[in-house]
Amino acid sequence: MLKVSVISPEKTLFEGEVDAVVAPAFDGEVGILPQHAPLMTLLGYGELRLGLAGASGRFRVNGGFLQVIHDHVRVVTEAAEAL
Amino acid sequence: MAKGKELKARIRTTESTRKITRTMEMVATSKLKRALDRVQAARPYANALGDVISSLYTPELAERFPLLRQPEQERRAAVLLMTADRGLCGGFNANLIREARHLVERLRDRSVEVELHFEGRRGVGYFRYIGEPVTASRIGISERPTADDASALIDGIMRQFIDGTLDAVYVVYAQFKSPLSTPPTASRILPVTPPARTAGGTVPDYILAPSADAIVSELLPLYVRNQVYRALVETAAGEQGARRSAMKSATDNATDMLSLLRRTYNRTRQASITQEIAEIVGGAAALE
Repeated sequence: MLKVSVISPEKTLFEGEVDAVVAPAFDGEVGILPQHAPLMTLLGYGELRLGLAGASGRFRVNGGFLQVIHDHVRVVTEAAEAL
Repeated sequence: MAKGKELKARIRTTESTRKITRTMEMVATSKLKRALDRVQAARPYANALGDVISSLYTPELAERFPLLRQPEQERRAAVLLMTADRGLCGGFNANLIREARHLVERLRDRSVEVELHFEGRRGVGYFRYIGEPVTASRIGISERPTADDASALIDGIMRQFIDGTLDAVYVVYAQFKSPLSTPPTASRILPVTPPARTAGGTVPDYILAPSADAIVSELLPLYVRNQVYRALVETAAGEQGARRSAMKSATDNATDMLSLLRRTYNRTRQASITQEIAEIVGGAAALE
């Protein structure tokens, strides 16, 4: 499982465990599964899906970054909105 | 009984004033709670952003990114002063304005040209009054600031800094230490001072996409905006804290005053009754 937090300047929108994350990186979507290598990437504009096919939550994000360390995923974005 | 009537009127006005200050105290208390929640909620983002920038930052970057450029000499600086839109919060606004004035004086002593930006009615009102040119001002966001408000405030200034028309940008805001301690603080947000690397900072071997440079240059503006956003939320919370204590002491003073007034009123009433009885008894005695 991945421990995920979705953070915007105003609040933490999501905090919990999911089995997969698909995020809109600056150059296209990036999928994260457990045991992913440490990664740091910039985000573009698009839809962030938590869980398989977005089962655990879907957010519209714009800019910011995504960081993966030891199954902890941090999505830090300037504008995030739950879908 | 003219004195008694006067006292009664004063008791009435003091009572109604106390009712108002007590209500304002309660309103401020509940607003303070919400403002505090916002201060708390802003922390994870600021920490996350600070961590990343400090872990990717290297001194060599400073020469390449305009937001990190350290001008050899400050010639033009912008000061952004945040105050409340409303008064009735003790010395809160006055303290912020004083801090800003000191900063402006210090800068002018070093012959830096200063332009003034404002958020909040009180600050802009004062500086207009003393005849300072106001470059930009915004009101109406001090109570519930959003991240968009922060970008609206700082983006133009940030662009000017990148262009090189400004050499430094300062923010004067109320640092929120506790509801009772909100010291006015001046801090320089541009050029960016990268946050200190947190202890035990073994940076894991990241896959970086795109390069570290690109990530830093993309995240620096976010960091600057976030600093402004945090200053806004802290000032908003500070305002409510200051108003609560101001209104609490006003209510306490009204209570003290009321008890004094009531005591005086009762004393004069009693004195006049005693006097009347004495007069009647005296009159009756004279008739016998």
